[in-house]
Amino acid sequence: MVSAMEIYMLLPKTNCKKCGVATCMAFAVGLLGRQKKVDECTPLIEEKKYEAKLKKLREVMAPIEKASETGLIIHPEKCFGCGNCVVACPVNVAAEPTRTAVGLGPEGEKVILRVEDGVVVVNNLKECKRFGPSGTLCNACTATCPSKAIEFV
Amino acid sequence: MAICTGCSLLCEDIVASFENGSLKHAKNLCRKGHGHFQAAFTERTRPMIDGEQVTIDKAVERAAEILKSAKSPLLYGWSNCTEEAQSEGIALAEKLGATAEATIACTTSFCEGILMERVLSGKIETCTLDDVRNYADTSIFWGSDPSSSHPRHLSRFSYYPRGEKRQRSYEEERTCIAVDVRRSPTAQLCSNYYFRLPPGGDLPFMEAILAVLDGKIPKVADKKKMIELATVLKKTEWGAIFPGPGLIYSLQDKMELFEQLLARLNEITPFKVVPMVADCNARGFNELLFEKTGHASSVSFNGGSAAYGPEHSVLAAAKKCDAVLAIGSDPLSELPIGTARALAHQPIIAIDPRRSLTTDAAKVVIPSALIGLEAGGTAVRMDGVKIKFEPVMNSELLTDEQILARIMEAV
Amino acid sequence: MAEVEVVVVAVRDIFQDEAGRKSLFSEEYKSLSALIILDKQDMAGLAVKDGDKLLAKNDAGSIVVAARASKDDAKEAHPGLAFMCSSPWYNQLVSDDSCQGSVKATLAPTAEAITAISEIQARMKS
Ligand code: SF4
Ligand code: SF4
Ligand code: SF4
Ligand code: SF4
Repeated sequence: MVSAMEIYMLLPKTNCKKCGVATCMAFAVGLLGRQKKVDECTPLIEEKKYEAKLKKLREVMAPIEKASETGLIIHPEKCFGCGNCVVACPVNVAAEPTRTAVGLGPEGEKVILRVEDGVVVVNNLKECKRFGPSGTLCNACTATCPSKAIEFV
Repeated sequence: MAICTGCSLLCEDIVASFENGSLKHAKNLCRKGHGHFQAAFTERTRPMIDGEQVTIDKAVERAAEILKSAKSPLLYGWSNCTEEAQSEGIALAEKLGATAEATIACTTSFCEGILMERVLSGKIETCTLDDVRNYADTSIFWGSDPSSSHPRHLSRFSYYPRGEKRQRSYEEERTCIAVDVRRSPTAQLCSNYYFRLPPGGDLPFMEAILAVLDGKIPKVADKKKMIELATVLKKTEWGAIFPGPGLIYSLQDKMELFEQLLARLNEITPFKVVPMVADCNARGFNELLFEKTGHASSVSFNGGSAAYGPEHSVLAAAKKCDAVLAIGSDPLSELPIGTARALAHQPIIAIDPRRSLTTDAAKVVIPSALIGLEAGGTAVRMDGVKIKFEPVMNSELLTDEQILARIMEAV
Repeated sequence: MAEVEVVVVAVRDIFQDEAGRKSLFSEEYKSLSALIILDKQDMAGLAVKDGDKLLAKNDAGSIVVAARASKDDAKEAHPGLAFMCSSPWYNQLVSDDSCQGSVKATLAPTAEAITAISEIQARMKS
């Protein structure tokens, strides 16, 4: 995952405040946290000399923009389909105590993570412990993944 | 529900649907298993003799002729066949052995066989993977990388699921240790307890563990980490060791040291061993042959008696055989070049659902039904649990067992 | 030209395994099998970068494979130790002694093409 610093390097670094925050660094942090959008930095969009930077910035931002509200991103192309995250996720465990909790593939629709066609898929993200303002810092799915196929932004 | 024959975990919770000659949707198959299911629709074989397509009857007839006239046939593979087919194969080797020297060997005869033989004879204590899930608080992946080879091992049994005595599982109760030459995907998950060894470093490492367990200073660079390991081992209530190729290679003539280590660990607390065999029914063949002959992975039948030893090994047999029956494996892909070349120069009968290096080089190719998908039967999971299954796809193809029975009749 | 001696350890990789299950004769399987993972130091010693071709040889045989730098960090550097997936390519370097998890080989940069599976098949028949 890109860092705020890497994003900052792709901004105009003029601290002109047109984006509504005090500094380019603050804007970079906003982008990473998804409170800000690339298009709000108008100099970057309008001035031709920033063209290459803009292109690169859009590239690095693509996965972040795709991220769900909990900040969860999956990379199916990296996934082993091992089911570690499926069995470790506390919501999955509570939903299927006789299946997912003991290592079997989930049967019902209440789970968040499951493996289909050889890779992980995500449903019911609203149930995720990280969801919403009162969310907790659960990381059971990323910590048990052998391939970094799940990430949080 | 279908079972997956992609590896020796034989996962039984697979939901798969097929449509117009392809896999439409699958639940719970790992990436490897998914590739394995898709393989049903690519590179399928047809009956052939000398590169010409023939009827299945002709191919079977020709196979029987070749085997009947051979003086020292080698029947190799078996690890991806049902137990029913394996029994038929052993019977065929015995029958051929009445008038010739017939060697039957499976894919574990190069490596895992020696460890499996100790397990089957009870010299090394073993357990089921369900026991591991229910009781184990320490698991050691030694020279094995299940995340790559048996992808659902950690999630179904050894690390993440809850078990009878392990309700707080990986969060609080289980420790996993990886001993390997590189930080494999499995080793990454065991982050605090990853021990990196140089190739061949297993024996000194065993000596170091024995030393720290006895309170002596181990002869290793990172003494502190070794002492931490000893603490984990001593606190273990129920331990499991999963030796993979990385360790088994080192054990070839040093089994005593490993047994000594196990004996020492078992003085502290139960430590069981489950060899990480690769293919879906490798263990089944080991068990059947062991029951019959006292040897797990290869024997020669000659004039009614079974012989075992270096001169009857696959390597020896490959060098002197005058016909090869390859089934349930692809020896030309899997064996060292010298051995593969020796086999490629003999008439090969390849019984295989799919094209391989062996079917390409074979004199006779006999297509068979895919185990688990098109052929039902019994297979033995890596931990000795027998699993019965029904086919999940329709197929006109003969099963391995049926093909072998027809050859048997004709020789 | 630069030459480096390494011990090549056979490893497993789920993506290579998956490709092989679909077809042993595919480009994908070749590109994941005819691939050697080297320490950065050895890459430098050979003056190669990712994707450059190397001739690997020993008494058992020889193959042309692509080089790739290992992702291990400096703390876990492994000069002299290389990794390849178990495959017909790796087996070209294995002598007939049974049960070998690693082999010694000499590496040198080459302009030759990556060894094709058809070439391996032809060698077996020769
Ligand atoms: S609008 Fe762009 S250049 Fe101006 S402060 Fe914000 S990020 Fe920096
Ligand atoms: S963050 Fe926790 S609750 Fe959310 S999907 Fe991952 S494991 Fe489940
Ligand atoms: S996301 Fe990671 S843990 Fe989950 S199935 Fe894929 S590889 Fe396994
Ligand atoms: S772990 Fe093995 S048996 Fe289970 S789905 Fe994956 S390949 Fe199939």
